[in-house]
Parts: sequence; C-alpha cells; structure tokens
Amino acid sequence: MKDSILGNIESIGFMAALVLYFAGSVLYFVYAGTKKEKAARIGYVLVFAGLAVHTVCIIARGINAGRLPLTNQFEFASAFAWGIALCFLVFVKKFSFDALGMVVAPLVFLVAGYAFMQNREINSLMPALQSGWLGFHVCTAIVAYGSFGVAFGVAVFFLLKGKIKGQLMERVPDEKTLDNIIYRAVALGFLFLTLCMITGAIWAKRAWGSYWNWDPKETWSLITWIIYAIFLHLRLRGTVSGRKAAILALIGFICVIFTYVGVNLLLPGLHSYASA
Amino acid sequence: MDGASETKTTKEKNRPQSWLSVLKSMQFSFVLLFIIVAACIAGSVIPQGASEAVYRQMYGNTWAKIIVELNLDHIFTCWWFVLLTALLCVNLILCSVSRFPAVLRAWKSSGRKNIGMWGSWITHLGLLLLIISFATGQYTSREETVYGIAGSTQPLGNTGLLVTIDSFKASLREDYTVEQYTAGLTVTDQQGNKKSGSASVNHPFDAFGYSFYQDSMGWASYVDIYKSGDLAKTDLICAGEYTFPNDLPSLVLLFNKFYPDLDRSEDGGYYSRTPLLNNPHFLYTVYYNGSVLGMGLAAPGTSIDCNEYSFIMRDPCEYTLIVAKYDPLSWMLGVSALVLLAGLFISFYVKPWEKKRSKHEG
Repeated sequence: MKDSILGNIESIGFMAALVLYFAGSVLYFVYAGTKKEKAARIGYVLVFAGLAVHTVCIIARGINAGRLPLTNQFEFASAFAWGIALCFLVFVKKFSFDALGMVVAPLVFLVAGYAFMQNREINSLMPALQSGWLGFHVCTAIVAYGSFGVAFGVAVFFLLKGKIKGQLMERVPDEKTLDNIIYRAVALGFLFLTLCMITGAIWAKRAWGSYWNWDPKETWSLITWIIYAIFLHLRLRGTVSGRKAAILALIGFICVIFTYVGVNLLLPGLHSYASA
Repeated sequence: MDGASETKTTKEKNRPQSWLSVLKSMQFSFVLLFIIVAACIAGSVIPQGASEAVYRQMYGNTWAKIIVELNLDHIFTCWWFVLLTALLCVNLILCSVSRFPAVLRAWKSSGRKNIGMWGSWITHLGLLLLIISFATGQYTSREETVYGIAGSTQPLGNTGLLVTIDSFKASLREDYTVEQYTAGLTVTDQQGNKKSGSASVNHPFDAFGYSFYQDSMGWASYVDIYKSGDLAKTDLICAGEYTFPNDLPSLVLLFNKFYPDLDRSEDGGYYSRTPLLNNPHFLYTVYYNGSVLGMGLAAPGTSIDCNEYSFIMRDPCEYTLIVAKYDPLSWMLGVSALVLLAGLFISFYVKPWEKKRSKHEG
C-alpha cells in the first residue's frame, strides 16, 4: 500500500463491507425462515451500509493508487460486487421485492469474498491501461454485470416459484412481475454491455490499432451479448414461456461469470493483465 | 391447365416465397446465432493460427486433423464463419425490409409521436451497419510494420513511405515498471514531404493517411564478426535474430535473449534485476550446419570464438516495433455503433415513457 492511512481505510473498509454483506445475507435468510418483514428491512439496510462503506473503500483505493481502481482481478471483482449491490438495492426498492435479497445478497457477498482472496497490492498501470477509455469501459461493464446479477437472482426465484411451496414463496411476486423484472434487468444490462463492448473497441483501436481482435475476453463478451440478445427476442416475441426465458437469463449470467473469471484464468489473451 | 401442372406452378410460386420466409425468420437467426456462439466458444478454446504440429501435440493426431480440416485453426476468418455472418446480414436485411411498412404504419397511426416503435428496427439497422462496416474494414484496411533502433530509416512496405525512427524511449518509474514507450518518428512520402511526431501507447501518430502505433520493443545488439583477427562483417540484430559470416553461412550466431542487469536467483536461474544496463549480458547460441556448437552468456565486448572466426556482441540498444494502419472506413463503425446504441435506448426506454405519458394524458 502506498499511503498507510488510505491503505488502512481501504483494508478495514473492505473487511467491514464484507461483514455487512454477510450480515445482510444472514438477515435475508432469517427473513426466509421467520417471514418477519423487519428482518428483510434490516437486511436491506445492512447491504446499503455495506455498499456505502464499499464505496468509501473504492474511493480510498483510487486516491491511494492515483488512478481508477478498476484494472486487476481484485479491483474488478470488488467493483463487480459493488455493481451487483447497487443494482440490487435499486431493483428491490423499485419493485418492492424483498425476497430477492435471499439470492442476490449472498451473490454480492460471494463476489466480494472472491475479491478478498485476490492479491490486493496496488500496482502501477502498464502503458496500454493508461487510457481515458478505461473508466468508461469498466464502469459500463460493472453496471451491465450488476444488472445481469439481479436478473440471475430473479430468474432463480422464477424457476423456484412453482417448485417450492410455502409462505416464503407467497412473498415472491407473481410470475408476470418476476418476468418483467428479469426483462428490465437484462435490458439495462444489455444496453450497458453494448456500451462496454463499444468503448472497449474504441480503446483497442487507440491502443493496438484495431477495434476487434477476437481476444478470448472479447469473444466471450460477444457470446454473452448474443445469449442476452436471444433472451430479449424470445421475451419480446412472447412465444416462449417465462420459464425458458428465465433459464436463458441463468445461462447468460454463467457466461458473464465465465467472461469475468474463467477467461482470465483459463484463456490467455490481450486481457491477461486482468488476471494479475 | 391440368391439375398436376397447376399444382406444380403453385409449388414453384411458393418455393421462393418460402425460402424468403425462412431466410427472414427469427428461427433462422436463432439457428445462425447458436452456430456462431458454438464457433466462438471453439475459437476461444482452440489456439488460433497455430501449426498442425502444435495441435497434434496438444490434442493428438485425430483431433489435429479435424481442427485443420474444419478450419478451426482460423475460425474467425474461415469461409464458413464468413458465410454464417453473411447469412445473418441477409436475415437482418430481409427482416428489416419486411418489418418497415408495418412499423411505419404503426408509427403513423400513433400520430408520429411514438418514436419508441422504431427502437427495435433502428437496433437491427445499427447491428447490420456494424457488421457491414467491420467486414468492409477488413478488406479496405492495410497494415504494415517497421522496427529498428533510433536513427534507422525503413520503407513502409510497398506504400512508398519512409519511416525514420528519430528516437525511442521507455520511461521508467521508480520501481522500474514501464510508464510509457515513446517513439519519435518522421514519415517521408514519395514527393519528399515530411511529417514528424511521436507515437506512444494509446496515442498513435497520424501521417499521410496512416496511423502509427507504438506496438512493442526489445533489445538489439551490434555483432562484429572477425576472421583470423580481421573484421569481416558488422551486423545489427534484434533478440531472436541471427547472423553469420558471409563466407561461411553454416556458422550461425543466434541472439536468444538480453539481460540488462544479470543476476542469479536462488534456484540458479538467470534473470534481470532491473531494466537498467548495470550488468548487461547476451544469451547466445552458436550453430554449425544446424547443430549446436555452444550456448552461453557473454558480456558486451566478449569474444565468442569458433576456430578462425570470432563474434563480438556489443553496444546493446533498444529497438521499437511500429505498426502502421490505414483504415479509411473506421468512421463507419463509429456511426453504426451510435445507431445501435440509439436503437437500444429507444427500444428499452422511450417506448414505456411514451406509454406512461399517453396513459397520463388519457
């Protein structure tokens, strides 16, 4: 860490955010078990507090590093968790869907936990990463991945809705509403994923002279884009059941996770610095 | 006209229409997209552009043969991938053309207010333009490379341009990581017009329609070749290149690697402690008739002797590799991307607002 005070703020802050996300997840499970609305409300507040602390921690790291903290595996995983948490809070508020926290809050905790296990050393940027487009490219990816994370959580509920009986499922909105939330989340994610790919292409042109190089990360982004494009067509066409659309939303998110983690670890390419 | 010929005529009439309806259908686009996804997965997993020997080593003989036969070694440029993309374009064109009247009618009937109705149509148009722009760019763009040390001048392929590398600098931070690579360049055209500037990573230099990109760098060395004590040849070679006496081409010195600040790790391996020229050493291999005569590390100025011949590697210096691109239609991609984004935004967000507004007004 360059500056010890900022380094401490970041370390302690990230740990605190992790604890708050975990506590939020536990409260949502309590809500699932006891059906007490209060537990869900506290869970929401805890995730909100986690997001606030997480934001401070990201800002501290940014100041400490003297750049946008969005360049390596830890920084992007941290931002990914932040994006999912933000989208989760917005969607829960907008659609009054407290039970969503049972799936998405643990997802935020898991992604943040994955970040916690990565090397958190602040490294200097290699020349290719010193671009104004980095911020646009990664920020749009964060919103896209966050939205797809929410769509994934809602899709899980959609698929469980008919399978699990009980009071808990009664608190889950009806299938039509769930389908609508999945659509809204995927639409937002799709718009931002498109923006992410376009800003990435512009950046690649500035850095390497070509918009598209069929690098594994680019290729998997395209695969993810196509999966969600098929989802949107099926959903808008209305000829498939919401169940099939929900399954596609799950497959799409698996592609997102693979694009983010799997490609960095398994398929070397121009984005190899992201695995550092 | 008898019944049989009438049926035949009807069939003939229907055939092109049914083909058209298949080509413009969403099912057809799904089939294409699924095949493209499968191809993309294969293309990301199988190393692209390697030789059959590499695939044999990685996957065995049978799979290597399948990979080469199905063009899976260069999926993204092979004929069937191009065909799939072309069919997707045909699908998009037919779909857009056939939907245009209906969208126009719906828009007119809404009092020409609900622009959201055009969202999906504009999105498809944007995607189509994007694919066409990208494909056109592949055929209209040109790429050339030059590399050399500061002070060298090279022709830029067959373009008639000359590129002089005036300077090259790798700016280092305190921790010796590279902050930026910058090459000072002068480009001269056939009429003798000159344009000078610098190219660094993320900041290409534009001259005479070409963009010059600072791509990569490495180390080069001068090599003096002596025969019986007399200087016979002086050559400048980069790491990975080789040189030989003109009268004995079967005696080859290969410049494997350069260590600017040589040190040994605990496990005995060699590495460079810093990128500074504190303890420079060349790693070389000498071949004679294809067989290795010797391999070793040599400090600059050290003589590497092979009977009456000796090689002296000296004056290590950095070389830069510059990539020059000519891409006259890149603006088309920008326009297409904007159209696509506008279409998506209108599709997802303008329509509901219009609906809300009309509800509110209602």
